[in-house]
Amino acid sequence: MTAALLILIPLVAAIATAVAPTAIARWVAAIGSLVLLAHTLVTSMFFGAWGTGDFALTASVPFLAEFGINLALGADSVSMALIILNGILMPLCVFGSFTAVTHRSREYYAWLLALAAAVNGVFLARDLIFFYVCFEFTLVPLFFLIAIYGGENRAKASIKFFLYTFTGSLLTLAGLLYVAWRYSLSLEFGGAGGDLAAAGTLSNWTFDIATLTTFASQELLPSQQGLVLFALLAGFAVKVPLFPVHTWLPLAHTEAPTAGSVLLAGVLLKLGTYGLFRFALPMVPDAVIVWAPAIAVLCIIGILYAALICWVQDDIKRLVAYSSVSHLGFCVLGLFALNPLGVQGSVLYMINHGLSTSALFFLIGMVYERYHTRDMDSMSGLGRRMPVWGFFMVFFTMASVGLPGLNGFISEFFCLIGTYTATPDSPSGYPGVLGPAYAWPAAVGMILGAMYLLIMLGKVVFGPLRVPGEHAHSHAARHGAAESGDHATAAHGGATTGSAHAAGDHATSTLPQDLSPREIGILIPLAVLCVVLGIQPKFITDAIAGSVTATLSAYAEPVELAPAAVRSADPAPSSDDAFIVPGAMSPNPGAISPNPSAVSGITLFSIPARALPLETGSTHA
Amino acid sequence: MLTDGLQLLTSAIAAASLAADGGHAAGEGAKTAMDAARAIAPAIDAPSLAWAGWILWLPIISAVCCGLCAAFRVRGKLPAWITVGCLGIASILVFMLYGRVDGPVTIHLFDWISLDWSGTTEGNRAGRSLVANFALYVDSLTLLWMLFVVPLGTLIALYASEYMEPDMRVGPRRGSGNSAHRAIGGGGPHEGAGYARFFAGVSLFLFAMSALVMGDNLVMLYLGWEGVGFASYMLIGYYYTKPSAVAAAKKAFIMNRIGDLGLALAIYLIWLNYGSLEYDTLWMVLAAAPDDLAVGGWSVQAIPFLLMLGAFGKSAQLPLYVWLPDAMEGPTPVSALIHAATMVTAGIYLIARTYPFFLLHEAALPTVAWVGGLTAFLAATIGMAQYDIKRIMAYSTVSQLGFMFLGLGVMTSFGGAYHVFTHAFFKAALFLTCGAIMHGFAGQLDLRKLSGLRHIPGWRVVSYVMLAGCLCLAGVPFTSGYFSKDAILAEAFVTPGPGFQFLGFLALFTAGLTAYYTFRVWFRVCAGPVHYEPGDEGHGPSHGEHGEHGEHAATAPDHGGHAHDFHPHAPRLAINLVLIVLAVGALIAWVVPGGAWVESMVSRSSAAAGVPGHGHAHGGAHGSFLGFDPHVVMYYVSAGVALLGIAIAAWFHLFNRKAADDLRASLLGNPATRWLPTAMENKWYVDEGYIFLVRAPLWLLGHLLAFLDRFLVDGLLVDGIARLPRILGRAFQPLQNGLLQGYAVTMAGGVGLIIAWVVWVWLQGGGA
Repeated sequence: MTAALLILIPLVAAIATAVAPTAIARWVAAIGSLVLLAHTLVTSMFFGAWGTGDFALTASVPFLAEFGINLALGADSVSMALIILNGILMPLCVFGSFTAVTHRSREYYAWLLALAAAVNGVFLARDLIFFYVCFEFTLVPLFFLIAIYGGENRAKASIKFFLYTFTGSLLTLAGLLYVAWRYSLSLEFGGAGGDLAAAGTLSNWTFDIATLTTFASQELLPSQQGLVLFALLAGFAVKVPLFPVHTWLPLAHTEAPTAGSVLLAGVLLKLGTYGLFRFALPMVPDAVIVWAPAIAVLCIIGILYAALICWVQDDIKRLVAYSSVSHLGFCVLGLFALNPLGVQGSVLYMINHGLSTSALFFLIGMVYERYHTRDMDSMSGLGRRMPVWGFFMVFFTMASVGLPGLNGFISEFFCLIGTYTATPDSPSGYPGVLGPAYAWPAAVGMILGAMYLLIMLGKVVFGPLRVPGEHAHSHAARHGAAESGDHATAAHGGATTGSAHAAGDHATSTLPQDLSPREIGILIPLAVLCVVLGIQPKFITDAIAGSVTATLSAYAEPVELAPAAVRSADPAPSSDDAFIVPGAMSPNPGAISPNPSAVSGITLFSIPARALPLETGSTHA
Repeated sequence: MLTDGLQLLTSAIAAASLAADGGHAAGEGAKTAMDAARAIAPAIDAPSLAWAGWILWLPIISAVCCGLCAAFRVRGKLPAWITVGCLGIASILVFMLYGRVDGPVTIHLFDWISLDWSGTTEGNRAGRSLVANFALYVDSLTLLWMLFVVPLGTLIALYASEYMEPDMRVGPRRGSGNSAHRAIGGGGPHEGAGYARFFAGVSLFLFAMSALVMGDNLVMLYLGWEGVGFASYMLIGYYYTKPSAVAAAKKAFIMNRIGDLGLALAIYLIWLNYGSLEYDTLWMVLAAAPDDLAVGGWSVQAIPFLLMLGAFGKSAQLPLYVWLPDAMEGPTPVSALIHAATMVTAGIYLIARTYPFFLLHEAALPTVAWVGGLTAFLAATIGMAQYDIKRIMAYSTVSQLGFMFLGLGVMTSFGGAYHVFTHAFFKAALFLTCGAIMHGFAGQLDLRKLSGLRHIPGWRVVSYVMLAGCLCLAGVPFTSGYFSKDAILAEAFVTPGPGFQFLGFLALFTAGLTAYYTFRVWFRVCAGPVHYEPGDEGHGPSHGEHGEHGEHAATAPDHGGHAHDFHPHAPRLAINLVLIVLAVGALIAWVVPGGAWVESMVSRSSAAAGVPGHGHAHGGAHGSFLGFDPHVVMYYVSAGVALLGIAIAAWFHLFNRKAADDLRASLLGNPATRWLPTAMENKWYVDEGYIFLVRAPLWLLGHLLAFLDRFLVDGLLVDGIARLPRILGRAFQPLQNGLLQGYAVTMAGGVGLIIAWVVWVWLQGGGA
């Protein structure tokens, strides 16, 4: 029930908002989103699966039981972390839209809340069909949010966004149905618990994710897994988005209203990475091992390619959108490192990117509300007029650049070190197929990332003040107004008193010159989270450790490869020395001697020797 | 009195030579990284010293308080006093720590990064956990750095409390020299915001620098590393409405990021190979590892080179030095603190700290030596030809950092660290005098427009402090710079290595150049007849803080805009006090602690690893300087070189100033030699090289990719595929044209096809 409430609360709130009087609609939505946040936080407090690889909050309601379809819910720690992210962003989006959206606001807030429900549904689903329904349903609210409330080019953006991602996810559905079909076939032809009497009926179909995952990872042939992986990638890579299927994103981001961009970057892109984490990694390990280098290459191209494109953007929102492509390249790269470091980093990246990029979109939205432009060439030195905004802009840019001490650093660090370590004879105990050859070019993205983001800061926040739109008015008048504003503020000793002069020209804008308390209130939670996760990433890494290792269980080094002598030399880990590198303490020098071949050469398309039960499973197919 | 002085001098020489000899004896027979690492004492966990954490927390508290002051628009000097207070307490804590710590200790503050998945896999647990906690590793090398970083930070904050006063009175920067911008600057002035922002930046810097130096693992070092980079970005771009300052800040951050990339990759490799990132564990692992570690494949041997890249970026060495001269856009106290005394020595610290890794590849230290030596020479030649005194100091910093790297490279980490220590004091003093001049003369920094300062009342302190700094920098006998530089120069001749002899002569020549350009500044600015012109707003985009002085001059009645009624305002108590303290420190830094003290500090830490590896005491490979023992003869040779440089400077810039201009004119007049002064004045066109070789291609590539993304990936592929259904639809559209004959033909064709297919299947079946 608790799990169901995570979906039902926003859904009910959405309906309530849709029927509420326009005047109070936004408050209904605000209350709904706050209730969702409160419920999310309480649920997470009592969540039983932190730190373990188990699923909690499980619930199952038969829906079309004869077809094996249930409304099965459940969350592991990674899902829960993303649900919390969604819960935190939702009220911020609602409050962030108070002044931005003034027409058709009931619908707007209703769609926002419906989106929250769908996203929570994706993270909670333990049934394939339910997962797919929620996954596709996320498109609908966002489609309307972009199409109705978007910028000039909104029609094209919304249609492209919808068709592109919809096409991709249809293929994903096909892939997942294929797995379910193979499963039913395996039962039909005398698989485990097979019942010949039931052959030819639908009663041995199931869409339970756990069952199908185990089945697919153990019983499908590598070639069949390859097909499934491609189907999964078709949906999830578009959603992430990976190069070269990223082109819908800049368009959608640019045209979406602020809250739409925030949710798009904050949680919707994470549906793709979450899908890869939840399905691709555990379901088709043999195919993943084969194709990981190719996917990694796409990630690296994406990182560098999008970063270079960012550099030459004039549209600030498009710049941040491309930066998402670049950043999520790191995220997926970490995922396909196939070791705990990389995957931990990847999950952290999902959350951290959700915080810092969301905040950047909020900040850009705040400027857009005031000056109605996203063109970086038309603005300059806004930090002078909006120092509070400037502070947050610098702060979140630094979080995005990956300044240590803020959240972005840890995830980037983990993703890269995970990739680095993902060699076939990795000391991490998880033989991977990447390695330094992949990590080095990706790491160049660190430099490029700093480059384009600082160039953005230099153009927009710093430099001589140039306020967009003001040059269109009479220069003399503007100067006069500005100067009188200056004097007024100087006389009153407060900045906000003079702002009416400056902002007065914009008919629609009733906002103060610098950020209003409401806007600061939106940014502060995000900033606090960035700092907290920057200095205490353990909150998340400890919580999701179990899930990560459970997901990676297919990739762990087989037991036989570990020399027994080393094992015996190792003292059993006690809670006290858990944080000390035990191998280094061990008297056996062999345990820590560098492995010369550890990073030897390129490992493109090479398959490490793994003792997966491939051969045993293949007989059924 | 005189005898006392002589005795002092004699004992100083004795101390210095003792230090040098001690350095040789220390690492006798140490040849490899493993031996070196074995020599490092294991650290003791010292929870009782947890109060040392306040050395980090106090600057953070100060930064937050200053930030709040900015947010609430606090007027007055409150931010300055908060900063000075917090840093002062932190300095006291550093001294207390120095009193308490003997061998290396680790102090755990809180868990930061700790991943441990060893329980999930079988077998070897090494490399299955990644631990980098917020913990301190305090040994003598740490203390050596902390002992100058935090107290200098305190002094400079005190200095800045007076220096930054103009920002307290009027709000954010105007700058940019363009009054039109000021007029449109519609934003309300935020009183004191700039002042508080400055001190917040300084506090943040001190936090990051302390974390860098005191951290017990490489990730925390990296935190400090990037943190000082960010603080430096913030403070270089302090006058953020000025495009040149913004550009300089950006350049500094990005150039540093290139170095940071090297450091990050080195960290990955170290973790990959040794399974840990904590110094203490690493030394143990290195000690326990088999002796053929040095041939552990490229992934081991690349470590020192990647670390080097990081060090060269932060410490402004070839080819990444170009950001440092531009960093002078920041306020002068920042230049003194960050870009001369402390942050730029982080690269030296990194190499000294990870010295055992530099023995993993035989070419590593020679590379450091060569890069250092060449940078020292190149920067000195550029410094000779500049006119902006702050920029001269900046190039001299680059050059002196080169000396330090040369010292590290020729295996005298003692010499390198000693020079860091002395350089911190005298260079800070020099920068602060430049700042005082700039402050008083409305931003004037051109050495052609300032003269005879020591004859102006109120400027004597500044002039003589500058003299003290110049004496040290030039390496005049019995100043601190003399001893520390000699330690490096002599060792270059002693240590056998590829081209070290040549580097030694090059460094000696560079030392002469240093003496020349240093005293060029002093003779021009402080000596000679009294003559000055105030700076003005349009003075040029390359200098720091004219804006505020221009405005200052315009608003304050005692500051006219013209030279004849311009009265420079002499520095007051805070500035003079700090200058005197620094000058005394710079001059006598060798008397109080002495070279032997620095030597003992270095030799008890990881920086002593394998130093010196030549065992010259047994006479085997002991180098020589023209047949003499370098350690003995260098004291005389370098003194002679320094005095010669000063003499030349005195001739050209004090007694016969016209000669310098004549020389330049004649060089420029001669087509064969024209390139020399041109190239030197244009900084050897390195910046331009970067723009053409790196920035422009990447920028073009960015545009190309943006174009491709729009028209190829999105336009042709995505939209093209999306258009397919419509195109197909168009293709079949004629079929639905409503003409009966057409339908009949289609039907007949369809029937025919079906029949053909049936027949074909039948034939196939029949054949089988």
